[in-house]
Amino acid sequence: MSAALPSTVLDNTGWLVTVAIHILIIILFTWTVIIRRLRIVTDRRRQAMVAVWRPILLESLIEAPASLPAIHPHDYILFLYLWNHLQESIKGESSSELCKILYQTGMDRVVHQYLVTGTMRQQLLALVTMGHLKETTAWTRILELAHADNAILSIEAARALTRIDASRAVPVLVPLIAQRPDWSPLKILAILQGAGEHLVAGAIGKAAQHATPMIAARLIRFLASIRNHRALPFIRPLLDRQPLDEDILASCLSLFGQCCDPRDLPTVRGYLSHPTWFIRVQAATALGKMGIDEDEALLIELLSDTHWWVRYRAAEALATLPSMTDEKLTLLVQTLPPGEGRHILTPFVAKRIEASLMTIPGETAA
Amino acid sequence: MSTTTQTGKPTLLMAEDEEDTASLLRFLLERSGFQVLHAPDGRQAQQMIDTMKPPRLILLDVMLPHLSGLQLLTLIRKKPEWQEIPIIMLTADSSEHDIQLALSSGANDYMIKPFNPRELTARLNRLLKQAA
Repeated sequence: MSAALPSTVLDNTGWLVTVAIHILIIILFTWTVIIRRLRIVTDRRRQAMVAVWRPILLESLIEAPASLPAIHPHDYILFLYLWNHLQESIKGESSSELCKILYQTGMDRVVHQYLVTGTMRQQLLALVTMGHLKETTAWTRILELAHADNAILSIEAARALTRIDASRAVPVLVPLIAQRPDWSPLKILAILQGAGEHLVAGAIGKAAQHATPMIAARLIRFLASIRNHRALPFIRPLLDRQPLDEDILASCLSLFGQCCDPRDLPTVRGYLSHPTWFIRVQAATALGKMGIDEDEALLIELLSDTHWWVRYRAAEALATLPSMTDEKLTLLVQTLPPGEGRHILTPFVAKRIEASLMTIPGETAA
Repeated sequence: MSTTTQTGKPTLLMAEDEEDTASLLRFLLERSGFQVLHAPDGRQAQQMIDTMKPPRLILLDVMLPHLSGLQLLTLIRKKPEWQEIPIIMLTADSSEHDIQLALSSGANDYMIKPFNPRELTARLNRLLKQAA
């Protein structure tokens, strides 16, 4: 008896486990079928929606149709995706025509609602839409979102503000840009480029004058990346500061190199012999973009610098110098004494010659 | 000899991989009176170039799968019958280098995305007139 009982218990347990596994398999199978079915239904619905609305939206680029089909609440998101995608693909008068559709369908009210009570996905979509609509009525709410902790949401709100009214947005956004290291630099650059050179130059230039060295350097690097010439009068006085922060100096040199204003050439030359290696690197790089004939000798001298990066950037600068030709560069490599200077310059010569071979004879290398 | 369809519409070869952009371009081009032949990637565009008669105009996206627009441009300009076909390159906003390279490699014009639809059709028509 005592031996039979455990055996029965074991048999029952085994049976129960088998049944449980089978039930689990059936549930999983049914669940997979349901999910698959739902996916198919959603895809069909999506295709039907696109088939109806894409031609209408395209037609509205020329002229907004007089009557439009209703949009089912299930399709709001997809409609907004389609609408925004088209907006992102075009510019000019057609964009305004496309905006009329949004008001005609009443989707502007939906977008307002998304902005206030929507999920993050809905809020992002609403922000992009508001930017395209240039909808000033939502300014306060979008400004709130620009201060949100979430980097994705806040930077999208910043972009929307710039699209709605750049002159109003830039003074508000520059302090935010300075304080948000979590914002994607590429997105910041896109916002600044969209805002307009003159607005950005003044706002960032003034902010850099009063910011801490770390923030000022970051702001100037943005100006350099968008080659903002108008910012130069705001930035040049920073070099007169004593003591001068090296991060600020390096970013200023980068800006000078990008803007290529001949008035900055003597300043750039002056820093080729700076005791800090990364300042010499920035000065050499800048000189490669804005230098003239007489700078060739200065850069050749840097080929024997004590720091590898300085030698490397000097070689690169020599190869990109506007006055440099393939012949001059080849001759230079041949006449340099054997050693690292020649070694480091050789790949740049090859690269330059390869680039000129890629262009049609008679045309300038890109 | 470049082609015109039986309906008298000039043919245009368009190489564009992005579906929504291709729909937009097709709509605009057909509305402007072109018959559009669409290649969704570089390889298919190359096959079309190898097998079809030269179109009246060509619109090439710079960024294409398999074979870039710039590579296609070089191939087209090597074909004697295709050398005079006007080509417009479509390029992304930030690619100044692509624009310079395209123009020096034989493109007649370029458009930067996002583009103004009216400007695109105006440029196409200008090239069509110049080529006539």
